[in-house]
Amino acid sequence: MNVIYPLAVPKGRRLCCEVCEASAERVCTACTVTYYCGVVHQRADWRSIHEKICQLLIPLRTSMPFYNSEEERQHGLHQLQQRQKHLIEFCYTVAQKYLFEGKHEDAVPAALHSLRFRMNVHGLSSVELVPAYLLLAEASLVCFIFHLCRQDSSILCLLQKKTIPKISGLGRIVQAEEYLSQAQWTVLKSTECSYATHSLLHRNLGLLCMAKENYEEARYHLANDIYFASCAFGTEDIRTSGGYFHLANIFYGLNKLDLADTLYTKVSEIWNKYLNDHYQVLSQARIQQVDLLGKRFEADTGLDEAQEAEAIQILTSVLNIRESTSDKAPRKTIFVLKILVMLYYLMMNYSKAQEYAMRAFNLAKEQQLSDHEQNTIQELLNLILAEEGYPII
Amino acid sequence: MTTLPPVPMTRPKLTSLARQKLPCSPRRIPRSQLIKEKGDIDHYVEVNFKGLSKEEVAAYRNSYKKSICVDMLRDGFHKSFTELFALMEKWDALREAARLRSLLWLQRPLEEQPDKLDHFYYYLTRAEVAERKGFFEDVYNNLYALACYFNNSEDKWVRNHFYERCFQIAQLIKIDGGKKEAEAHGHMGLLFEEDGQLLEAAEHYEAFHQLTQGRVWKDETGRFLNLLACESLLRTYRLLSDKMLENKEYKQAISILIKASEIAKEGNDKKMEGEAAYYLGLAHLAAGHYETALTVLNAYGKISTDLDDDLSLGRAYEAIARVLQSQGEMTEAINYLKKVVNISQNNFQWLDVVRASTMLGDIYNKKGYYNKASEYFQQAFDTTAELTNIPLMDETKVHYGIAKAHQMMQTVSNYIESADLASLDYLLSWKESRSDIALDPVVGDSRRPTMESLYQTSEHLEEELNGFPDNVKDET
Repeated sequence: MNVIYPLAVPKGRRLCCEVCEASAERVCTACTVTYYCGVVHQRADWRSIHEKICQLLIPLRTSMPFYNSEEERQHGLHQLQQRQKHLIEFCYTVAQKYLFEGKHEDAVPAALHSLRFRMNVHGLSSVELVPAYLLLAEASLVCFIFHLCRQDSSILCLLQKKTIPKISGLGRIVQAEEYLSQAQWTVLKSTECSYATHSLLHRNLGLLCMAKENYEEARYHLANDIYFASCAFGTEDIRTSGGYFHLANIFYGLNKLDLADTLYTKVSEIWNKYLNDHYQVLSQARIQQVDLLGKRFEADTGLDEAQEAEAIQILTSVLNIRESTSDKAPRKTIFVLKILVMLYYLMMNYSKAQEYAMRAFNLAKEQQLSDHEQNTIQELLNLILAEEGYPII
Repeated sequence: MTTLPPVPMTRPKLTSLARQKLPCSPRRIPRSQLIKEKGDIDHYVEVNFKGLSKEEVAAYRNSYKKSICVDMLRDGFHKSFTELFALMEKWDALREAARLRSLLWLQRPLEEQPDKLDHFYYYLTRAEVAERKGFFEDVYNNLYALACYFNNSEDKWVRNHFYERCFQIAQLIKIDGGKKEAEAHGHMGLLFEEDGQLLEAAEHYEAFHQLTQGRVWKDETGRFLNLLACESLLRTYRLLSDKMLENKEYKQAISILIKASEIAKEGNDKKMEGEAAYYLGLAHLAAGHYETALTVLNAYGKISTDLDDDLSLGRAYEAIARVLQSQGEMTEAINYLKKVVNISQNNFQWLDVVRASTMLGDIYNKKGYYNKASEYFQQAFDTTAELTNIPLMDETKVHYGIAKAHQMMQTVSNYIESADLASLDYLLSWKESRSDIALDPVVGDSRRPTMESLYQTSEHLEEELNGFPDNVKDET
């Protein structure tokens, strides 16, 4: 019995859909505390998060049992709080994971749950809400941008196009703007808020403005993003590079190619430095302990999933741009290719690494670059081929 | 009853927008509508109210430092931003260090110095534009302007940073035949010299000198760069050799000074050449090569005479005298020193007079001419008294006292040796009248008159020595 009849519900009690907050017509039979407006939303929620937290919701949504003593009551309340906090984190991570995997639609219900529990625990105007707002905004935004990208097959087309096609994604922008406005308001009211949060907020605002083709404001927000990220992590950190990358995209779209070029170079240098450091550490360890028990070394990028996804996205975009002007500056293309090779190598995705290495090698040969350059690429290639000898179990 | 038509109310746009949002408004407005309205209101406020645009609000809310950074970044000046950001971090670190050292520190935070931030913004962005276009000369000029702006004692390290940057950029400039590079070398030399790293400084100055050789470049004040290079190089060489002489590495010091004098000769500046010769002579003297020292110093003397430069002539003679003194040729030395005293007196170089007189007194003292010695020491002492240079006065006082004591000792011992009653009387009366200090009777027949005069001088002496009795007693 999934169906409920709103008229049968006691007066004054309104049951809302878990996803859209319209009046509910269905109930989840497993927990009997979660309502939906229709099959579509129920299914979406189930796929996204409800499957994982269905049973956990029961104690939160039923009234507390009768406790005999004050002590027990306090204990019960404390338990409830703990549960909610746990759920906040859990939903947040789940949503994040969906986002990295590119399942933006699935991320939304999970993020919404996280937001709702945060409101319960911390109140409406707490800074704690900001990460959830940002996540939701990102889900909507990225969803929108990807929608366009799928149409035009490249992020660049989005920027070069003068008119945004009126597609269903537009509704998403409004959604994103709403969440971002909420987040901004919360941050504005709070006095203490970390630089990292500020940076994230401004990056999303920048992306929003980009989506709305308001490049003037987008530049302002991205500049703020870079500033705050620099305050939090330093100017040469990979977490700052995202701001530079988006800024470069804007300038590229505005056809200020020399400006965009220096910014892309900056982004590639940041990633090159980071990946090269890790690569060097790895090869050092390899040289020192060669043949010791035939032990294989874990390649490690030191990045989490989101950062890895970001790295791939940024670097491939830069590569596309570099390749479009490859005739003029093959060195820059090879530079980006090398970074990508290192990235995939460290991520232990050897086939991809090999593909990029081959491309770099061929390009270097074609353009008759110096021997030194060819040799370094050859070295990388050999290393990867050797790795592929031992497939990962 | 006819209903009147509704009064045409002309509301400003803002109120009408706000009215629609009033809580009592009957219909529920969809969110997308609200967001659109928000944009409209923002736009309206921005257009119609001065100073209420988002950016201006941000300018009030944020620190000036942040506004500058954001301004740089939104126009894509990321290199400027990185540089400024690094400098600001260092600035804060330095302030923090200064704060830990003492409670009172004067360095204000950068946020409170908008002038400096403005300068950073102006020049750094211009430099970056030029760099993007490949106009390295402009880059250099802008960076150099910044270095000049921070050329004060408080912000030395900022200046140094930009000198280094100038140096890097200058190496890319090829069109001007290396003028900028030369200048940059000069600045780097200065930087190292101030830091006390003389070897590095000399390296840069050498490059500076080499690049400017045979060129007629001038700096902004109109001086020849080549001359400037020579001067700096000589100065560094001299400092280097001084250090080596301190460590008794005479050979190296002399070889460096020979190099210096060769450079000076090429520089076509007689005065500089003379200077170089002078220091070379001194080094030879320290190393004990008296003959060479003499020839070099004589050359210096000759240059000075040619230039009509009495001061350096005095110095030359003094140095020569010192060499002669070391060689043991006292009469010659005395001659030169007397010349020095004369020259210095004519030029009112009182310190030189004091030094020369003291040396003269020393020589006489050693040879046993105490009268002469005390005469010169007295001259030195009188001069210092006029100069009111207390430490120097104390020193000459001691010399003078010693000479005087030597002078008196002879007579006293004569009395004691003669061992007759009259002498004993003299000794006794002297002792009675002067319990502390030796008083001088005079030998032989003409005792009386000289006694009188000596009493006077010794009285005079005692007054002077009041502040310094211990040393004098020891010496006597």
